[in-house]
Amino acid sequence: MKKTLALLTVLAATLTSLAAKEFTLLNVSYDPTRELYADFNAAFVKHWKEKTGETVNIQQSHGGSGKQARAVIDGLEADVVTLALAYDIDAIVEKGKLLPADWQKRLPHNSSPYTSTIVFLVRKGNPKGIKDWDDLVKPGLGIIPANPKTSGAARWTYLAAWGYALKKNNGDEAKAKEFVAKFYRNVPVWDTGARGATTTFVQRGIGDVLVGWENEAFLTLKESNKGEFEIIAPSVSILAEPPVTVVDKNAKRRGTEALAKAYLEYLYTPEGQEIAARNFYRPRLDAVAEKHAKDFPKLNLFTIDEVFGGWRKAQKTHFADGGVFDQIQQGNR
Amino acid sequence: MKAINKMTMAAALAAQVGLSGVPAQNQDTNAAALLRRISELEQKVKILERKGELSEEASVEKAKTTPLVTIGAGGLQASSADTNFVFALHGVLQMDNRTFFNDGNIQGNDSFLLRRARPIFSGTVFRDFDFFFVPDFGGSTVQIFDAYLNYHYAPWLQLRAGKFKVPVGLEQLQADRDTLFNERSLVTDLVPNRDLGFQLWGDVAGGVVSYAVGVFNGVGDGRNTSNADFEDDREFSGRLFFQPFKKSKAVALQGFGLGVAGSFGNTSSNATGLSATTGGTLPGYATDGQQQFFAYNPTTGTVTANGGHWRLSPQGYYYYGPFGLLGEYVMSSQRVSRSAAPLTSANLEHTAWQVAASWVLTGEDASYNGVTPRRPFDPRNGKWGAFQIVGRYTELDIDNDTFPLFSNPLTSASAAKSWSAGLNWYLNRNLRLNASYSRTTFTGGGDAGTTSPATVTRQPEEVFLTRAQLAF
Repeated sequence: MKKTLALLTVLAATLTSLAAKEFTLLNVSYDPTRELYADFNAAFVKHWKEKTGETVNIQQSHGGSGKQARAVIDGLEADVVTLALAYDIDAIVEKGKLLPADWQKRLPHNSSPYTSTIVFLVRKGNPKGIKDWDDLVKPGLGIIPANPKTSGAARWTYLAAWGYALKKNNGDEAKAKEFVAKFYRNVPVWDTGARGATTTFVQRGIGDVLVGWENEAFLTLKESNKGEFEIIAPSVSILAEPPVTVVDKNAKRRGTEALAKAYLEYLYTPEGQEIAARNFYRPRLDAVAEKHAKDFPKLNLFTIDEVFGGWRKAQKTHFADGGVFDQIQQGNR
Repeated sequence: MKAINKMTMAAALAAQVGLSGVPAQNQDTNAAALLRRISELEQKVKILERKGELSEEASVEKAKTTPLVTIGAGGLQASSADTNFVFALHGVLQMDNRTFFNDGNIQGNDSFLLRRARPIFSGTVFRDFDFFFVPDFGGSTVQIFDAYLNYHYAPWLQLRAGKFKVPVGLEQLQADRDTLFNERSLVTDLVPNRDLGFQLWGDVAGGVVSYAVGVFNGVGDGRNTSNADFEDDREFSGRLFFQPFKKSKAVALQGFGLGVAGSFGNTSSNATGLSATTGGTLPGYATDGQQQFFAYNPTTGTVTANGGHWRLSPQGYYYYGPFGLLGEYVMSSQRVSRSAAPLTSANLEHTAWQVAASWVLTGEDASYNGVTPRRPFDPRNGKWGAFQIVGRYTELDIDNDTFPLFSNPLTSASAAKSWSAGLNWYLNRNLRLNASYSRTTFTGGGDAGTTSPATVTRQPEEVFLTRAQLAF
């Protein structure tokens, strides 16, 4: 009897260990992070294998941040989400009830392992002489910013423009609205995401300036012919903090909680931060940030909390149905 | 871009020809203006092209979630974009006429009737779970004919639960809209109709082999379950059907099918009502004209089903081009008991068989699933649909041991033989008109009496049947 029990125990342990050897993780991310997570995933898979002996297959999904959040709410079984803005994850909390409301406290820096900002990408020689936000509202200029209704980058862009106008006009909201209305009057094409906007500007040759993610701008410089494009850092921009989190209910159902947590925590390690910096995301770790300080322009950055009172307030005021952006669009027709 | 190149050339030409005599500085200014204009137009074209691309991307994305709704000869169907959820509405409406000749003045059998009026609700949820619900409004009371759920793991492995046709009779399993004649043959008197139960079934290798095995409440010959079971015993049914040449290159053999089906159950005696092998005034076996020619009606006492009931049915069909042939044989053996002296029981084995042939005069293919006209009815354009001639011979033989203890030989027939011939007109896939003549002769019975089966078995039954059918 004892021998049988021992044998069964060994068998169970063997089967369990065999069964646990391979995992799949789904990371639902926003549009321009393809290259970042291609690099990061390779590093994490190697790290996890060395640490635990387990094989991890990481699947990626990319798209406009708002669209991706809706997909997760509608049933896309993400183990982790790495989106463009906290509000999109809050929407998953409220409508999908897939993770707790205090998710942002679970990882350092409000669950944002890297930051970015909004800059301008112009064509060779900067033919339209763009230096700052004021140049973007000149009549006849073509701006490519993506659609704030679907794109996280576009929402950051909108808030950056608004923040600039507020600072310039001593907090005058009406003047800020007027400025942003002029800004969007110069938009000829509305892409749903940041990557689509880059395609429109870079590959299709439309517009005079791409206004969007700093990392996307650097990636474009890297992938295009030398000198074909230039980055213009505006006088003021917004500190964008793309957050990451485990989607608790999905991870629990799929048995990937520990793995998902470790995956996100790896973003904060020196290697994870190096990978972020190499892909033009501003690292959080001081040592890595110092090492790559020269790679990023020095910008005067404000936070969403400082100017708008946080994402919930900004979303409700500006991007909800009937909000300021909708009013601007209505006025611009 | 061609337009832009042309414009570039035109601008250059204009600068050369039209502006000769203009000072050089002005020429440079005009050229620069033209270049700016060309650049603006180029941008506009690019913007339009990009908008077109984005619009197409948006349409593709939208199509992934837009439900599809179709309506046509196959009925109404709505499905989610991923087809994991489907709802379909079909229906069968049959308006019949029965006219009897030389029927010994039986009253009330010549009639128009709404033979079937069945909306058919079917669909799929979560890709693998199908449902099927069919009420019938054709009779004097509304009945639920089919109500089942079906889980399809794969075409070869499916599980069905609910009320549905028991997998025994070949003609019985044929859809009501596709049978050759108004009424099924005498064979169908001996096989179960619909019952409540579970069935594992599937089509293997694209239908080369079809199987079904199920457990049911148990239902009498030719009967539908009454949705209640008065006894604890179950009936097991199974069917195996082969179409060995279905995938072969021998076209002439592709339509050949052969199989066997059967059922076995135990029916315990229950005085309050059984699945209807009891006799007396309850319907027994009926003719093409739906007249009772046999009943378990001994002169004294009643008869109850009390013991084993098994059925065996070899069956087959052959279809090739416009020609169709269907045949089946059924043995139904039921142990019965008397309720009055002499208290005796017996195993009664009744048999029936049929051969039915058809020929589509207009050349369309005949099939087990009906005929689809190549030229649907459109007289303005000289299209008349499809015409099919049909013929059938069928016999039913009652076990001799039935008489006289379990049935009155003076009123119930001990055998019935029937031949039928008709013409079917398929106007299109949805509309069909039938006309047929059927003659049934009887052995035994025919004595004095004012009710069936005596009145029916007194003379051969001669009936002219017509039908107008709408099915979608």
